[in-house]
Amino acid sequence: MRIACDTGGTFTDLIVEDEAGTVKMYKASTTPNDPVDGVLNSLVLAAEDHGVSIEAFLSQCDLLVHGTTHAINAIITGNTARTAFLTTEGHPDVLVLREGGRLEPFNFTIPYPAPYVPRHLTFEVPERIKSDGSILKPLDAAALFDIVLRLKEVDVEAIAVCLLWAVKNPVHEIRIGQFLEEHLPHIPYTLGHKLNPVLREYRRASATAIDASLKPLMQDYLGGLTSRLDASGFAGRLLVVTSQGGMLEAKTLAQHPIYAINSGPAMAPIAGRWYAAASGAADSAIIADTGGTTYDVSLVRDDSIPKTSETWIGRPFYGHMTGFPSIDIKSVGAGGGSIAHVDSGGVLHVGPQSAGADPGPVCYGKGGTHATLTDACLVLGYLDPEFFLGGTITLDVASATHALAEQIAKPLELPLEEAALAVVDVATENMIQAIAEITVNQGIDPANAVLVGGGGAAGLNSVLIARRLGCPKIVFPETGAALSAAGALMSDLRQESRALHFTASDQFDFDGVKQVLASLKQQGETFLQDVGIEILGHSLEFGVEARYAGQVWELEVSLTKDQVEDPGDLAHLVERFHETHERVFAVRDPGSVVEFVSWSSSVSCRVRREGRPVLAHETSGLASGKRRQAYFHGAGLTSTPVFPLSALESEREYEGAALIETPFTTIVIDQAARFHKDRSGSLIVHP
Amino acid sequence: MNDLNSVYRLDGAKLAVLANRFGGICRKMGNTLLRTGRSGVLNRAKDFSCCIVTEGCQLLAAEESLPIHVLSGPDIMARSMLDQHPVVRRGDVFLHNSPYHGCSHPADHSLLMPVIDDHGNHQFTVLVKAHQADIGNSLPTTYHATAIDVYEEGALIFPAVKVAEDYRVNDDIVRMCRMRIRVPDQWHGDFLAMLGAAFIGERELLKLGREMGWAHLKQFTAQWFDYSETRMIEAVGRMPMGTGEATSRHDPIPGTPPEGIEIRSKVTVSPKQGSIRVDLRDNPDAMRSGLNVSEACTRTAAMIAVFNSIDPTVPKNAGSFRRIYIDLKEGGVVGVPQHPTSCSAATTNLADRVQNATMLALADIGQGIGMGEIGPVLPPSVAVVSGTDPRTDLPFVNQLFLGHTGGAGTPSEDAWMTMLHGGNGGMCFIDSVELDEIYTPILVKGRRLLADSEGAGKFRGAPAIEVEFGPDNCRMQAAFVADGNENPPQGAHDGGSAAPSDQYHIKKDGERERLPQSSQVWIEDGERLLSVAAGGGGYGSPAERDPKRVLEDVREGIVSRDRAAKVYRVVITSDLQIDWAETRQLRG
Repeated sequence: MRIACDTGGTFTDLIVEDEAGTVKMYKASTTPNDPVDGVLNSLVLAAEDHGVSIEAFLSQCDLLVHGTTHAINAIITGNTARTAFLTTEGHPDVLVLREGGRLEPFNFTIPYPAPYVPRHLTFEVPERIKSDGSILKPLDAAALFDIVLRLKEVDVEAIAVCLLWAVKNPVHEIRIGQFLEEHLPHIPYTLGHKLNPVLREYRRASATAIDASLKPLMQDYLGGLTSRLDASGFAGRLLVVTSQGGMLEAKTLAQHPIYAINSGPAMAPIAGRWYAAASGAADSAIIADTGGTTYDVSLVRDDSIPKTSETWIGRPFYGHMTGFPSIDIKSVGAGGGSIAHVDSGGVLHVGPQSAGADPGPVCYGKGGTHATLTDACLVLGYLDPEFFLGGTITLDVASATHALAEQIAKPLELPLEEAALAVVDVATENMIQAIAEITVNQGIDPANAVLVGGGGAAGLNSVLIARRLGCPKIVFPETGAALSAAGALMSDLRQESRALHFTASDQFDFDGVKQVLASLKQQGETFLQDVGIEILGHSLEFGVEARYAGQVWELEVSLTKDQVEDPGDLAHLVERFHETHERVFAVRDPGSVVEFVSWSSSVSCRVRREGRPVLAHETSGLASGKRRQAYFHGAGLTSTPVFPLSALESEREYEGAALIETPFTTIVIDQAARFHKDRSGSLIVHP
Repeated sequence: MNDLNSVYRLDGAKLAVLANRFGGICRKMGNTLLRTGRSGVLNRAKDFSCCIVTEGCQLLAAEESLPIHVLSGPDIMARSMLDQHPVVRRGDVFLHNSPYHGCSHPADHSLLMPVIDDHGNHQFTVLVKAHQADIGNSLPTTYHATAIDVYEEGALIFPAVKVAEDYRVNDDIVRMCRMRIRVPDQWHGDFLAMLGAAFIGERELLKLGREMGWAHLKQFTAQWFDYSETRMIEAVGRMPMGTGEATSRHDPIPGTPPEGIEIRSKVTVSPKQGSIRVDLRDNPDAMRSGLNVSEACTRTAAMIAVFNSIDPTVPKNAGSFRRIYIDLKEGGVVGVPQHPTSCSAATTNLADRVQNATMLALADIGQGIGMGEIGPVLPPSVAVVSGTDPRTDLPFVNQLFLGHTGGAGTPSEDAWMTMLHGGNGGMCFIDSVELDEIYTPILVKGRRLLADSEGAGKFRGAPAIEVEFGPDNCRMQAAFVADGNENPPQGAHDGGSAAPSDQYHIKKDGERERLPQSSQVWIEDGERLLSVAAGGGGYGSPAERDPKRVLEDVREGIVSRDRAAKVYRVVITSDLQIDWAETRQLRG
């Protein structure tokens, strides 16, 4: 039996797959003070459902994959360790200056962001290495000793060390590491070159500081999780999802906790890829995870999930760059709880402010007073007030109607339902812009992609989004309401390795590249050997980040084989780069030298059998043959059939309009769309 | 206005949707340029802008652009394109850098691409404006501050010259540029990057027009301009009424009067009419200098000062611009310069003085508006450097962005620190030391903020930044036009001035030789430049600053305990606590 557990902001989602391939979903409340409680509570729910004790339940479990927002929450709430920053002498303001840049040049109400580590905890180490790796100024051991004394005085809990050019020559960082172990043996530290060997000192320093600051907390959390699972009878393998969409042993992750920053949403694209492939989808997929507050968009291109080296915690330029390659996820403040309002000039806005889970939308009746996207959808008849979140909440239609009428319809001088549609339209547009931005960056044309709708609120407007983007079809996975947990369960085990090795097309270093690729291959094979559970198959792929000479931002190109052996292979690779550049940026420069910077291997192991997981359906409360009055663009108020997803006949074409319900979500399909349930259990909509 | 109001009230959601889509197109163009540019000034510093103007040559959208590049200029440039080329066809691209025809300054090469619908009608123009690493000036700098005229300045000037037809580049123009511009491959790579951005903008607008219908977009632009104007009227309506006047003085450099150049701005805010008038006529005549400010930049600098003082959510486009009236002097040093007056450094030095004088004039009207002076630009840390790279034996030329602050105190918040200069608004990036050292043969010895250099105030300005760097294993020529040594950034409403800027040539033996403000200087191997770039002026009396903010500044080493007591009148104990009793006594 295999288990995936995803701790989100509101719910802890658990998915269990038994030996027969039957899948069941559970939701427990997240317990922010000690999230391990929430994990164990969800396991108790599952054990009870299986009619056994938690010990008996866990003893049958081979693998538990865990996604967590614990690390990012600690950063957002300022609960990380008191961290010192050691930098090259002369360069104390790396974290203060960042890389400059700003979003709104006329907005002087936003304060300049404070550095991740304050200046008074920043220490300049006398040393300097040059860009060619040579030592300009040797490390001053006596000065280092003084710094250690001061570190003891100021009582730091973690130390980040990031020196200029340590990526070229790490000797000084390594020496400092040894020194710290000797003199401050109980204080965790991170060395920049080891953690994140990239150029650009700010993003490497930022990653180093964030990583160090998370160590005490994440070591406690993951240690606690491991020991409490052990105590509850778990003898299987515990893996934690990384921001890169891979998985690491809990104890390995505790050594590099920055990998856990996007641990929550990183599995959604993996689930999306699984479901898109299962539904026979095209080369690319857009995975949109709609929660209460945020809309997380990620991509699949040529069966791989694009990465970015520019992940920010918070808004770009105002938050902190993690400086770490991770799955490219674009998050915007748009979701079921997004608040709608009309400004003094008569323009409607939706989000980014959210009513959150508490008080939540007006219709929750928990004290919310601002009209939200959920309220608009209730007014439009899309949601069943008696059966929301599996009937756990009864929605208050009258309050939602009143709020929408007063706050939106009146100032816009629109009838109530048209005002509600306008709210849906603006929210839809915000979401489309998020998709547009990430697809632009990654060079994907939405017209050649399928949209995968996950998250509890995905069904409300995904059909509209897909139509606007020109996506030919939408896939709503059966387990979509817990997409990340589903991804963790159903995906392969993956690990990526990366190595810097600069060379150029006019003087290609065939030998050097051969060694780098061989070493990356070796790392992938080592991961395979250590997987520890039965593998049913695996693949090993290679890629390179390349650019034209003079550019400083790279494009990723996949290799078609595991070596670049001869000029023929090189010419092929160069042509693939030209093609990619033209596809993404509209021009190619055939006369220019192509530079290759960073090489990667990606290994994935299949651990679950072929064949679809069968969701054990909870059908209580979902009745067939119902109709509801729902309001659509063009058609107005329409008597609309309501189908439980489980009641749809497989592979039969239906025509919109329709409302499709599952215990955790409702999917709104208008008149122009057709839909069917496919063999993998997903709902497929052609918008 | 009533009729229009009811139209856009009905259409509020659609307005928001389309405004987002136009903005998204600008962002997509900009992203293309950043990622594909070849020179550091584009791909590291992001010194470029992408915008959309209507077929009537009105600025519609300029998301994430540099303010000084776009508020005024793209409109005049698009007009001049149509004046020279009354018939434009799909696939045409025009190269434009003429400050006499609307461009900011000659270093800002711009590509204009008309968007032509399927019936041959001109609907929009996309504009990509990018500061070049080199433009073939007589000296290796894109800011030739001492040029007596455009001939001495030396760049090729392109007043809306057609460089592509049917999407195919005219190689004649490319060859001319390659013969004149230093490091021609770098320039050509940047040109291709700009072309890619223009193509993407045009492609996206064609898609939008086909999807929504061109008439619908026309309707949108009319309503969006009206909406923006309404928002502007409201924003100005909340400002205090009155007229204010202030000056801001540029340091003397060769070619200016010995006392420098004083810029005067007179601002009248009419809340009832919802309009603002900026009078810049009382200023000197154009000078035999590269500091003269183009019409586009003079207008823009005044507009930036206005937008810095109002609700930041008012859209910046031709609609809100209707409520700003700017009086310019024909043939003024700021105003409307006539060919062959040189406007080589028009985006920075005196344009910033126009902006600062206008912000101080606004502050002169009342509390709660205006700002301290933002620090001036072009210290050695942002010099244009050139030479021969010993690692490749190839020539290099590029503008560095090694460190800048400059932000000024505002009525409600401390400075945005990394402003670069007023016209930039903090949009440019700061170079990574590692990237600069690998792409340019330099070594950066240090860069750090300087304590006690901020413009004190209730809301304080940014501290100064010191950057020390030099050539690595070669000699290097550096060009800069620093300002703010004799005339450091002033504060507003009893806010203090920032410490002055300064610059030194550090010789091999460690001796420091002070360099003139405007220099074109060779730095030999083993020598270094020391650049001190000023921060910004404060806003409000420092004695009214929240003591907790003062404590934080002391803790962070921005302000010393001594200065905290003397200037801010806050007593901080040696163990970094506020001595409230002493503080109350000092503050009376």
